[in-house]
Amino acid sequence: MAKRILIVDDEPRYLRLLEANLRTEGYEVATAQDGVQALDVFSAQPIDLVLLDVMMPRLDGFGVCQRLREFSNVPIVILTARGEEQDRVRGLDLGADDYLVKPFSATELLARVRAVLRRAHAPSETTGQARFFAHGDLKIDFARAEVWRGEEPISLSATEYRLLLQFTHNVGKILTSEDLLTSVWGAEYKNDKEILWVSIARLRQKLESDAHAPHHIVTRSGLGYLMPPIEI
Amino acid sequence: MDLQTLSSLHNIFQEVQQKPDWKAALDTLFVSLRDSFIFDNVAIYLKDQRTRGLDVVYARAVGRGKTAEADVVWGESLASEVIAKGQMILKVPTRGTGKTGRLDLAHLLAFPLYIGSKLGGALVFVRFGGPAYSELHIQTAALQAFWTAALIERRDLQQARTELDSVQRQMRLQDDFVSTISHELRTPLGFIKGYSTSLLREDTVWDEATKREFLNIIDEEADRLARLIEDMLESARLQSKTLQFKFSPVRIDALMRDVATRINMHHPELKITFNFETLPPIRGDGTRLSQVFENLFSNAIKYSPGSEITIGMRASAENIRITFADQGEGISEDYLPFVFERFYRVPGERTVTGTGLGLYICKQIIMAHHGNIWVESVLGKGATFIIELPVVPML
Repeated sequence: MAKRILIVDDEPRYLRLLEANLRTEGYEVATAQDGVQALDVFSAQPIDLVLLDVMMPRLDGFGVCQRLREFSNVPIVILTARGEEQDRVRGLDLGADDYLVKPFSATELLARVRAVLRRAHAPSETTGQARFFAHGDLKIDFARAEVWRGEEPISLSATEYRLLLQFTHNVGKILTSEDLLTSVWGAEYKNDKEILWVSIARLRQKLESDAHAPHHIVTRSGLGYLMPPIEI
Repeated sequence: MDLQTLSSLHNIFQEVQQKPDWKAALDTLFVSLRDSFIFDNVAIYLKDQRTRGLDVVYARAVGRGKTAEADVVWGESLASEVIAKGQMILKVPTRGTGKTGRLDLAHLLAFPLYIGSKLGGALVFVRFGGPAYSELHIQTAALQAFWTAALIERRDLQQARTELDSVQRQMRLQDDFVSTISHELRTPLGFIKGYSTSLLREDTVWDEATKREFLNIIDEEADRLARLIEDMLESARLQSKTLQFKFSPVRIDALMRDVATRINMHHPELKITFNFETLPPIRGDGTRLSQVFENLFSNAIKYSPGSEITIGMRASAENIRITFADQGEGISEDYLPFVFERFYRVPGERTVTGTGLGLYICKQIIMAHHGNIWVESVLGKGATFIIELPVVPML
């Protein structure tokens, strides 16, 4: 089956350039002109590779990359007009697989796409990822970073959201305070248990119907916290 | 400490700290504590970092001291002494010297000022002719000295922050400049490279229509690149004042009609309405002025697509006033003051190509004519650019 590539760029001429060349190689092409549209198009169909421009209105390429990585392993190639090292490093740090600095030649583009697709994980691995997550009455749209309790949208701070992601990505696994502090706040906060206590309490107040009898984030005394595997 | 003292200290603290200006804060401080500590004059001396001398940065006279207001010399030698010692000094007039003038009978009290742990100056109080300072007076004065040092440190920090802010703004402008330039130059270059290498691919055959489409894009983008470079050079020349203007008598209304005709050739759909009076010729550089008008037209086409343009011209004894109005989206009030700045682009206009140079160039050209250009706009109700050019007698 032909691989489908999502091209995201705000310049119609780039979309046309990429699409024309990719089609000659037998790829199918989907397009989006800004970051928010990209996430919607991505969620609507199976995509094998994303070609992502950095400078875009609404949500930039780095933002899209970060959101995509919260729920998908799809290969991402960043297209950047700026070749500065910090930009390339930032892209790769956010989980991009490769980058291409504009201006680039058509043959180089196609070679990169082939290489990244070859290296890509087997499809079975990528299809296991989903944009939406549910745990009892708790629902998350990773692409838009939105959280609901039942029908009610919940507003979380960036830190609270990152903390919540630790649990949703490790359902059924006990996470120690050190694990959580290191991955959410950074290694230098490893022993700052009080911050974690306060944040878990605040998160529970927002997520749980009864913060004192939590269902989503449960304490295992002396061990850590976990999101229990069974839907309640 | 009793409750009453504490609460009055609390009030003084609040009042002093709320004053945004350090001098006003010091005024409040000295006035509020006058009930507990009376003096005639106070002066603050700070070490000048470069000359290493002492500067009087603050001096106030109250009550009897007002007659000696201008004369702050009385404290200077004592201030140096305090700074040398790093300790409080109390000076009582010596008896029996035969001097009887009030100024000769000064009771002086001086404190070192530690500003951010460094000995940076001195605070000197004076009472002419007594009474002598009591222990309570000295304690109150010591508190004021301590507080003064903190207020001066706050002033220094505020100054440092202001300086830092301005340096940062400069750096950001530089950064924006570099990234704007590189983005704007790379975009057309990227298309030229991308489409030409597509045509050069040996592993595929493009049909005739696609080939033409690609070649047209390459052609247009090469033009765009040339225009960009021209704008940048122009702006650099204007910036360094090396651009030569050729002034001669110009009929500004004819010039505007000429530019409008040319614009209409490329954009026949654009509706332009003229509202001209008979105008006297002015002295100007016709080519440059045409450039300004062209720029205003091309901005209107880019940012207010589909809008009609109304151009008005009126003459007074001193100047010609040109109004150039569109009915597009307008410009937000927040951005209006900046649109003529070099490399400034209204946020969110990224999808429209531009360098942030057009209006800058316009303004430089109009200023070279000793005129003025500005914009008035209400968001959602269009923008009006106004140009005023002086009418000078023809020689």
